[in-house]
Amino acid sequence: MTTAEDPTARPTAPVRLPLRRPERGRWFGGVALGLAAHLDWPVRRVRILFLAAALLFGVGAVLYAFLWLTVPVGDPVEAATITRPAFLGRLARRQAVAGHPLRLPGPEVLAGVLLVVGAAALLLVRSHSAVNLSWVLPVFVLVAGVVLAWSQLGVVTRGRSREVPGGRAQAFLRIAGGLLLAGVGVLLLATQVVGAGIDPGLLGQVVVAAVAVVAGVALVLAPWWLRLVRELGDERAARAREAERADIAAHLHDSVLQTLAIIRARADEPAEVARMARAQERELREWLYQDRPAPGTSIAAEMRAVVAEVEDTRSGPEGEAVAVDLVVVGDRAPDAGTAALLQATREALVNAVVHGRPPVSAYLEVGDEQVEVFVRDHGDGFELDDIPSDRFGVRESILGRVRRRGGTATVTCKESGTEVHLVVPVGPCPADDVGTLPTGTAQLKEKEKAT
Amino acid sequence: MNAVPVDVVLVDDHHMFRTGVRASLDARVRIVGEAEDVDGAVAVIHEVRPPVVLLDVHLPGGDGGGGTEVLRRCADLLAETKFLALSVSDAAEDVVGVIRVGARGYVTKAIDGPALSDAVVRVASGDAVFSPRLAGFVLDAFGTAAGDVATGDDELDRLSAREREVMRLIARGYSYREVASELFISIKTVETHVSAVLRKLQLSSRHELTRWAAARRLL
Repeated sequence: MTTAEDPTARPTAPVRLPLRRPERGRWFGGVALGLAAHLDWPVRRVRILFLAAALLFGVGAVLYAFLWLTVPVGDPVEAATITRPAFLGRLARRQAVAGHPLRLPGPEVLAGVLLVVGAAALLLVRSHSAVNLSWVLPVFVLVAGVVLAWSQLGVVTRGRSREVPGGRAQAFLRIAGGLLLAGVGVLLLATQVVGAGIDPGLLGQVVVAAVAVVAGVALVLAPWWLRLVRELGDERAARAREAERADIAAHLHDSVLQTLAIIRARADEPAEVARMARAQERELREWLYQDRPAPGTSIAAEMRAVVAEVEDTRSGPEGEAVAVDLVVVGDRAPDAGTAALLQATREALVNAVVHGRPPVSAYLEVGDEQVEVFVRDHGDGFELDDIPSDRFGVRESILGRVRRRGGTATVTCKESGTEVHLVVPVGPCPADDVGTLPTGTAQLKEKEKAT
Repeated sequence: MNAVPVDVVLVDDHHMFRTGVRASLDARVRIVGEAEDVDGAVAVIHEVRPPVVLLDVHLPGGDGGGGTEVLRRCADLLAETKFLALSVSDAAEDVVGVIRVGARGYVTKAIDGPALSDAVVRVASGDAVFSPRLAGFVLDAFGTAAGDVATGDDELDRLSAREREVMRLIARGYSYREVASELFISIKTVETHVSAVLRKLQLSSRHELTRWAAARRLL
């Protein structure tokens, strides 16, 4: 019943790996290897086909060169996992495969090609053949320009242009140099066609006209190109977001797995197991269901931290873990007054957990003029008057703290339980208080005063 | 206490959880149907027409709307069938979202068996079930400043002073009984106040409420 509606349970169509040129196991450019992976053919068959096609008027060589230039470098399997939505793939990072990728020594190959071409040219000149050197030079310049311009594609598609410092500038230089060379080559060819006696003025006009045509085409194609760039940017941003989510999920799964392992190891200690399960639940909730505020900007977040600390470190009268039910209404930036309030709240919570009886509830209400906290448990409570005033206990740590900040603190004991009610006044403008007195120093000062 | 048990349809996509609920409910509640996705839930609810549906907020299937979608597609039954939302999530958008489309209450899955049975019986008798957290969301949505108090009974956009007091006590962890004794009113009156708040939460078009909801991507 569910599988029919489940969007992830599509019929398993044969999924092709994306076309990439792998760096491991390649002979030359990795074209045959990548094509084999893409078509799910044995790589030997692809290589033989390429060779056979190369013998056929060089079709195979041209095809190989074309694919070498246009297919980006990369691991096809890795590329497939990147293009898959993050929620489908595994969340934890994959280990990198060991081994050195085969890399063609570019400069050496280039030098070799140049030598071969030079030798061929010399041979042609020696044999007094009909081929005129004045044709060879422009063609050579033109080809060099094209190769230079295309060579930047490899750099960009590898996605390394951003990582390599100056990669962008390098790519731009390659294109500009390629353009210049190709332009000069075309001009030389043109003059060759027209004949030696070409008028320099006419040449200038031809150049201007050519540039005008190119500019016109660029103007027409610019919107399309811009849209492409923009879409690419959007896609990158979306992918980054997804990757971030996957990172968070992986982190969470990690911590859950660890907690489960510890719980299994200590299954005979129910209090400890309950405490760990509660801590893990809290963490999951925080990540799954809450927008996390920046640190130091939210009383609600600090209150949650206080409750978490008490839940993690304190036990009930019989050594059992006690969960605190926290409800928060409103929020604002903390200040010295609320820092004192939270310190007092912590003491009240510890008191309720250690000496009271569960369930323990905490309620924080942030109003425009005051911040209120209620801490309630179902224990028998304590009589304030019974506590000697010289004892540094509830009287000082809870009530004194709040009262020194101009607030009020009351303890109510009923048959249904004990409730501590704390109020501190706050200024009307919460933003002013941020930063002037960090909560850390506020707490320090409070401690100094208290001792 | 009730001679006739309340019939309940249980909608949750986790088999383990359904088994747990079935085991923990006491004699006052009887499970007459189960479903594990949106379409299945809509079909079962229309077929059985139970007095109460225990509805998980996060459900697969349908158009991806989860529990909210089930409620929308069962809107024709809302007069006779009461929905009690049940979720592992306690996020504001989940809770308030499902209340605003017609659920009569919201409890988290951490609730124990007797409390859940209590909640089912209470919903079946026409009352609303508010957890402390839901009360907190209501206070958050309607505001806690002095100017936020309703003056008339028919005002939808603000809570009356008494309603707010009840909400605050519930948020502080008081049971209905404890609220009643704290305010020197009967439990029935507490239930009336809570139902009134639920109605306001469902019907209010208060500017702040919508802004608050928009900030939490509710509307």
